Amino acid sequence: MTRADVIIVGGGIMGCSIAYHLARRGMRRVVVLERSHIASGATGRCGAGVRMQWGTKPNCLVMKESIRILEGLEQELSYPHGIGFKQKGYLFLAHSKAQLIQFQKNVQLQNSLGIPSEIVSPKDMKRIAPLLDTTGVVGGSYCSKDGHCDPFHTTRAYALAATRLGATLLQYTELQSVTKSAEGTFKLTTSAGEIEAPVLVNAAGAWSGYVASMLGVNLPVYSERHQILVTEQVERVLDPMIISLHEGLYCQQTPDGSFIMGLGDPNEPKGLDQGHSWQFLFAVSKKISRLLPDITGVRILRQWSGLYNMSPDRQAVLGAVDDVPGLYVACGFSGHGFMMAPAVSESMADIILGNTPRVAIDVYGLDRFKNGNLFYEPAVV
Amino acid sequence: MFRTELAVVGAGPAGLSAALAASECGVDTLIVDNGSTPGGQLVKQTHKFFGSKAEHAGTRGIHIARLLAGELQRSPQVEYWSESTALGYYEDQVLLVEREGRAHAVHCDALVVATGAAERHMVFPGNDLPGVYGAGAVQTLMNVHGVKPGERVLIVGAGNIGLIVSYQLLQAGVRVAAVVEASRYIGGYAVHASKLRRLSVPILTSHTVKEAHGHEQVERATVWQIDETFTGVPGTEIEFEVDVICLAVGLSPVTDLLCQIGCKMKYVPELGGYVPIRNENMQTTRSEVFVAGDASGVEEGSSAMLTGRLAGYAAAAYLGKCPDFQNKRAECQRALDALRAGPSGQKVRAGLSVVVSMEAGTC
Repeated sequence: MTRADVIIVGGGIMGCSIAYHLARRGMRRVVVLERSHIASGATGRCGAGVRMQWGTKPNCLVMKESIRILEGLEQELSYPHGIGFKQKGYLFLAHSKAQLIQFQKNVQLQNSLGIPSEIVSPKDMKRIAPLLDTTGVVGGSYCSKDGHCDPFHTTRAYALAATRLGATLLQYTELQSVTKSAEGTFKLTTSAGEIEAPVLVNAAGAWSGYVASMLGVNLPVYSERHQILVTEQVERVLDPMIISLHEGLYCQQTPDGSFIMGLGDPNEPKGLDQGHSWQFLFAVSKKISRLLPDITGVRILRQWSGLYNMSPDRQAVLGAVDDVPGLYVACGFSGHGFMMAPAVSESMADIILGNTPRVAIDVYGLDRFKNGNLFYEPAVV
Repeated sequence: MFRTELAVVGAGPAGLSAALAASECGVDTLIVDNGSTPGGQLVKQTHKFFGSKAEHAGTRGIHIARLLAGELQRSPQVEYWSESTALGYYEDQVLLVEREGRAHAVHCDALVVATGAAERHMVFPGNDLPGVYGAGAVQTLMNVHGVKPGERVLIVGAGNIGLIVSYQLLQAGVRVAAVVEASRYIGGYAVHASKLRRLSVPILTSHTVKEAHGHEQVERATVWQIDETFTGVPGTEIEFEVDVICLAVGLSPVTDLLCQIGCKMKYVPELGGYVPIRNENMQTTRSEVFVAGDASGVEEGSSAMLTGRLAGYAAAAYLGKCPDFQNKRAECQRALDALRAGPSGQKVRAGLSVVVSMEAGTC
């Protein structure tokens, strides 16, 4: 039986960054359990966008802090390979008056929190993204400080920094069962033997509901498949991430020149299916050809899917699980865990250690599902 | 959406044979191939085939391609899409095909993957210089397009392909400086090696290329001896003035599509790399997907035709259209066993013994 001070289930961005912050705060025996390799789940499958343009105050504050952290993260983690953080902006398209009014509210909120977003006209949008066909677009919102970050490098940067500080990363190690002893210790059976710790962090993403169920905890989350594709690399012609809530489409050109795009499709299956369909390719091609007609001939290189871990109000579920002392959860990000990790992981580490976090995350607590304090995020694809 | 009973990916010897066997059973078949003419690698094989008459022994590969393509044309049940690339195969049995710049969804009830093999490359300084070719590329240049690859060639690899290409180069008036072979033995048939020796081409066993030199293109090659651990022996270097280095260092099965489908794969060095687990009817772990030819393990043209035919009949049987399957199967198997008999088939037999498994479906 191996003993640890904390075991984190899940080697995505969340698990690795929480491990780093716990180790940095002096926790000695930090163990991350990952069934496959790091970033093999939603982290490594996401659209790689990071943005401050949100419609609820807590998300705005978390993302403002995350982007501040990302600006200096390569130095903080002494990561020489680069995390691919590029601030080329995010452009939200409004296809109706009602949508534009919502954007105006969002921008007002964002500005009041010090986020430099703005409402833009179709003419401004042509200047920001000259290839964009603005037919049917009545306006939009734009923030030049939003951008792109490489999920693989960022996760690896956190993982390496964590292990340098003494954390143990167990890849290809699957959690098989977990029980809680009378003394309050979590005993985990894994494919590589048994391990115990007084603190357990559930950062298992799409599988967090399943992991919680091993301890009899019912998390109000479910998983949902989202598809995505990447094209060949071409000359850089598009700076911002383009988001059309109307089409359910997002598209950005990454620093290496390939386009990444995905669709929010209400008909996608719920559950843990990570397959993909040819219908998606046709649907996304059709939509992107309308928005960015000039990239029609660019060839698709690869498609895949990832799992959003959804919560009832499309907001993360963070903090202690009151019914099980020592158990913490960081899940339910509803498709935005990668970008939120830099700030959230720091706050999670502080909460686990009993410190007051710099960015408060109590509003994301599990108790909101008991007392009905749900807060819906309007700006989600 | 285009619908077909059977889709075959690849119009080489295996794919063509599979399509012909299936259509013989009355199965509507679509062949998808990215080449401009049917035949796959046959179209550059100017040498005569060995084996038995049924697999066109004594006929040159290019002529076999024409024979099979002729049969294909006469078969009303086979549709053939050239210059079409299979992009992926999906859960709902749809094969996505790029043709004339557009993606086409093809629904099929069964699929034969006959995607062949790809040449291996080698790591040495200067291996990216123009003038470093795969042997298949040299054959394509000479035998398909009538273009000499250069004036003086160093051949790396003394398997059948290396030996045959050497002879074809000589026939085309290109000088062959030497054939180098890392192994202690010549891998190809003695009949091919003897032809080269009679023309005084040295075959250096236990030698490999150390480095390619040149500014704009290959101008010179350094070859050295290697020991039992395949490590170069300093002081044994030989320089060859050549403008082409032709690599004939083996093939790997092209299995991207099978991997994407999710067929269970196994690494089998004797068969050239990752190959799909299948049963004796070429059926993979995904029941409607069959494999044929080099994609199932690197052998040669004759066995590709036979595994193709077997896969074609098996797919027809899977679709309920091959009442005489057991006899047809036995006939293919007998011919395959004959081809794989003897010491030269030992490697393939060893490979097959670990990959042909009842883990795969049953027809």
